[in-house]
Amino acid sequence: MRLTLEKVLWGCTILIIGMGLIALYSATYDNVRVTQRIFYDQLVCAGLGFIVMYILSKIDYRRFYDVAYGFYALNVVLLILVLVMGRHALGATRWIQLGPISFQPSELSKLALILALGRYISDRKPVLSFGFFTKTQEFVRQFLFPLGMTGLLMLLIFKQPDLGTSLLLGGMFITMVFAGGIDYKIVFGFLGLCTVLSPFAWLILKPYQKDRLLVFLNPNIDPLGAGYTIIQSKIAIGSGQIFGKGWLSGTQNQLNFLPERHTDFIFSVIGEEWGLIGTMTLLFLYFILIMTSIQIAAQMKDRFGMIVTMGIVSIYTLQVVINIGMVIGMFPIVGLTLPLVSYGRSSFLVSVIMMGFLLNLSKKRTIF
Amino acid sequence: MRIKIVRIVVIIAFLSIAGSLFYVQAVKGGYYFNLSTNNRIRVVPMEGWRGRIYDRNGVSIAENRIAYNVMITPQAIEDMDSLFDFLSETLEVDKDRLIRQYKSKKNTPFAPVQLMADIAQQQAIVLEENRYRFPSLFVEENFKRYYPLKNNSAHVLGYVGKVNRSSIKRYKEYGYSPLSVVGQSGIEEYYDLNLRGDEGGLQVEVNSRGQQVRLLSLKEPVRGKDIALTLDSRVQELAAKYLGNRPGAIVMMDTATGEIIGMTSAPSFDPNYFVDPKIRKAEGNVFNNENSPMMNRAISGRFPPGSVFKIPVAICGLHTKKIKPSSTYHCKGFHQMGGIRFGCTYPHGDQNLVESIAHSCNVYYYRMGLKVGADLLTQYALMFGLGQLTHIDLPYEAQGHIPNRKQGLLSKKRQWYPGDTLNFSIGQGDVLSTPLQLTQMMSTIANDGVEVRPHLIKSIGGVEVNQFDYRRQLDIDEEIFKVVKRGMRATVTDYTGTAHDLDNREIFVAGKTGTAQSAPNKDHHAWFAGYTKSDKGHMAFCVFLEHGGSSHNAVNITRQLLLHMKRDGLI
Repeated sequence: MRLTLEKVLWGCTILIIGMGLIALYSATYDNVRVTQRIFYDQLVCAGLGFIVMYILSKIDYRRFYDVAYGFYALNVVLLILVLVMGRHALGATRWIQLGPISFQPSELSKLALILALGRYISDRKPVLSFGFFTKTQEFVRQFLFPLGMTGLLMLLIFKQPDLGTSLLLGGMFITMVFAGGIDYKIVFGFLGLCTVLSPFAWLILKPYQKDRLLVFLNPNIDPLGAGYTIIQSKIAIGSGQIFGKGWLSGTQNQLNFLPERHTDFIFSVIGEEWGLIGTMTLLFLYFILIMTSIQIAAQMKDRFGMIVTMGIVSIYTLQVVINIGMVIGMFPIVGLTLPLVSYGRSSFLVSVIMMGFLLNLSKKRTIF
Repeated sequence: MRIKIVRIVVIIAFLSIAGSLFYVQAVKGGYYFNLSTNNRIRVVPMEGWRGRIYDRNGVSIAENRIAYNVMITPQAIEDMDSLFDFLSETLEVDKDRLIRQYKSKKNTPFAPVQLMADIAQQQAIVLEENRYRFPSLFVEENFKRYYPLKNNSAHVLGYVGKVNRSSIKRYKEYGYSPLSVVGQSGIEEYYDLNLRGDEGGLQVEVNSRGQQVRLLSLKEPVRGKDIALTLDSRVQELAAKYLGNRPGAIVMMDTATGEIIGMTSAPSFDPNYFVDPKIRKAEGNVFNNENSPMMNRAISGRFPPGSVFKIPVAICGLHTKKIKPSSTYHCKGFHQMGGIRFGCTYPHGDQNLVESIAHSCNVYYYRMGLKVGADLLTQYALMFGLGQLTHIDLPYEAQGHIPNRKQGLLSKKRQWYPGDTLNFSIGQGDVLSTPLQLTQMMSTIANDGVEVRPHLIKSIGGVEVNQFDYRRQLDIDEEIFKVVKRGMRATVTDYTGTAHDLDNREIFVAGKTGTAQSAPNKDHHAWFAGYTKSDKGHMAFCVFLEHGGSSHNAVNITRQLLLHMKRDGLI
């Protein structure tokens, strides 16, 4: 039996979700504040996720192309609704309540923007004439317009406030226009400009976001507040050493030293209980998953599919790298989840849906 | 080509993450492992010092004392039996009970358990001296709020407690955590942002014996600000003493500045109750008391003012020129209207304005009310601040109510009849006011129409507060106030006056009594509101007894209180 790329994707996804569930079981084990209910919740989500993944892999993927702009518009409306009437939790307004279910539109934004940018960039017609004005026109069409599309969502999400997701969309935008074949000068010029302007971003941050950045530079300035999380999470991961303390035996985890350990900091539970072996295994699975996706993109004959795949690649890479980086103190805490592992229905399902897209796209890569 | 670049970027990113993980887990793993097991990091929160509250003379009326709590770290227990033997001996508590308590509170092996709160200092010292024998044992210190005045000022000062679940959302924006201690009513609540300190803490590395090895980091707690109030604790004591346990309230206010000198509400409770479990056991549940001791009747109680309301009615009549000071009505003990008799205490005969105030003749005010009309009465009552918040710096102030002819009679949900105007003009019917509002009204009259803002705050952190310093001048002639004040003085000096008991050479008092009907089968509310003059400044006051019977009772308390204050040199 040949090991197709699809099988690799399915395999990696299932293994990663499995590892996540086992870690989540431990994180919620015998715990009063974060109950086991969360584990079963995620278990149901995983089952649902596999079904969604399977269905998505069977749909004609041109459907995604058709609904891209509509989905984007709907997402903008939802984001505005969140700001107006969203549910408030943990200092930010990110959830929206629709009947019995509540979800985070900012998670849906990842999907909406991937599809909308994918369609827009792949639609771009080649410009035939030359000259200054066409060049400007091309710059606007190739770069400024998609930047506006991204910027609108980023702004709405930043307002919630959710700095992590907002920056994530920015990173995704760069990757997608880059994959779309824009001039190198524009991409690197833009990255340079962002670097130069980043100090000014300080001015628009919320106090707690500033705290987190300051604490990242020196965790000891606030050992009880924001710094506490970083210090405790580093101790958790480090103390796992090579072989880990064993499942359900992480002292940092079991003793409630780790805040938010079922969501953003789930990786520290894995690090403490399974050691370097566990973390490297998980990292390797992500690596295979992403490399396979890039392989799919490389073989893709269809521009839309290729660009969308690159968008998914960028989201996965950024989330994995930033999440693990912040858990071990390499990056400031920005509140990004570990895809397929962290608890959180919206983010989990969106991660699964992206895998479904990938499976679908990969099937169609040899049709043309 | 482009995909190749992306591939390389991804590989680099993953390699650097893998490298960091290797560094943290394999290279420095031993160090972190030690931190997490043998040596462990403990977070020792340090409470911020809550600001003290002083009275106008610098006497401390809310302070902090240090409480010692016995803590046990379950993981570090070596010999359970000898530890609890020692504890039961030192704390003089049954050993089995201690063990039961310990087991019920134990959560995880590493989280310290609070075995007993607030032990005596002597016991704490003994425990600390024996720590070397029992590494699991330590004594935690924290601040406990203490109110030396106890019941006397409970309502004004309020008390402190943990933020409760329902209000955490509101508090979160101000940086409170669910464990923060906040003021729950009174001054403690109103000035909480000034009083509260900021939490700090230590992060220490301790060894397996629970002793501190190294201080990792320290965040200094921030002290809250001390505040000074306009209250006089001696007045508070006397007012509480003479009011006793009868439901009621006493308010005293400096007419020149609006400073509240005294404010008492009864029945009262000991605010230390909320801080100290021992007192809680002794006093029982204050919430279930039918007399609602938690309510500050001085500002939150809404009661019909009865005849005290005749003062603004008289001013209304004079100012609108519907009556003259010399206008005389004949009282035959009742006023007949539409087949209903509206009663008076007894037939007063011919009464002019000053006499009508002194004798509190209802018929005079029935006639005047009819002449002036309900609309003007409403307008003048509002002018004197009745039916409106005084915006004193205390939470949960009640607005009271002044009826309006166009709205009809709200309590009975029907339209306005002329008979309602009669009830209105003697402060019955729908008229509801707080003792504080009547005090403010009396001070405005004593000041010949200058209204001051009642307030309790004097200074915050040593800085004088002057946001209450503005005044309002009513557009009414001095002459009118003179006449009314003559009536209020005659209430005391005239030997047929309703407050004649207060007539003495030592103190100058003028005022108006009120006996207001409340529920049909309950005693009337008793009022006496007025002002005193002395070389130590003028003071408006209001004494109120809920279902206290005749106004005579209120006058009596006023007399005892004022005479005692005079004796002590307070007025």
